Amino acid sequence: MLNHREKRRYLAIMYDENTILSPFQLHEKIAERFKELFGAINCELAMLKLYDSKLGNILFVRCKLKYLDYLLVSLSMTQPSFTVVSLSGTIKRLRKNVTSLGIRNIKSIAK
Amino acid sequence: MSKILDLDIIGIDSSYLTNMKPAENIILRIDKKHNPLSYYYPYLVVSDNVKTLDVKTDLFQVDPFQRRDAIKRKIKSGVGIEISIAFSKKLDASLAGKWLKEVKSIYEFCKLNDCQFVLSSGATSVNELVSARSFESLLKLIGITPINYWNEISEWLHTKNKVRWAHA
Repeated sequence: MLNHREKRRYLAIMYDENTILSPFQLHEKIAERFKELFGAINCELAMLKLYDSKLGNILFVRCKLKYLDYLLVSLSMTQPSFTVVSLSGTIKRLRKNVTSLGIRNIKSIAK
Repeated sequence: MSKILDLDIIGIDSSYLTNMKPAENIILRIDKKHNPLSYYYPYLVVSDNVKTLDVKTDLFQVDPFQRRDAIKRKIKSGVGIEISIAFSKKLDASLAGKWLKEVKSIYEFCKLNDCQFVLSSGATSVNELVSARSFESLLKLIGITPINYWNEISEWLHTKNKVRWAHA
């Protein structure tokens, strides 16, 4: 039997830097909305995981490729607002993409 | 910012434009035709009140939960009907599901009445903007093919601008 590893996607998500919520609490909000809209089973199967972006008001979240559309819809329909700024198959590439976007510029626009 | 979101053009409300430099990837949202900024930017006349809906209106903002009888009576062919995603953020789970169902029925209404369906972020700040990929996921969930949607909206915007410049 083949040892098949399901594809994943890593998302860089920008949030309001004035929020009082911690990245962990924001991740909880995203998972909560995902569950509300698509159910607890899909949320578990999506294997959402939070990563430390080390980039200010940016979250890195992993999910399975199969559930990417569900996650993007959940992000669009969640309060507080989130904006997906980059998406990649590896966290290393995602970090590179976000760095090349010029995070300082994004933060200054957000102000 | 439009580059980050993978969008070609971003619609901006005329009131937010006072301290911005003119840019090519901006389309102005104005509430009446005679706005001094309309000489410098491509624009769309936007309305959210069915009573003020007239031939000059390009884009009509609707609440998916409102009755469509009045809109049906006043809407003209070629008008864009705009749905804002921002509205759905505040809804609880059951109303959010209903919102998605209503958005789909508005899309079908647009098809029947030869109107342009426009899904917008409804953003009032940068943090509320929605990326092109997120729009596509939402469209897929509603049952709209993203490529068809982008083609139709591009053509509609092109037609709106072309008519304006032809009369300038």
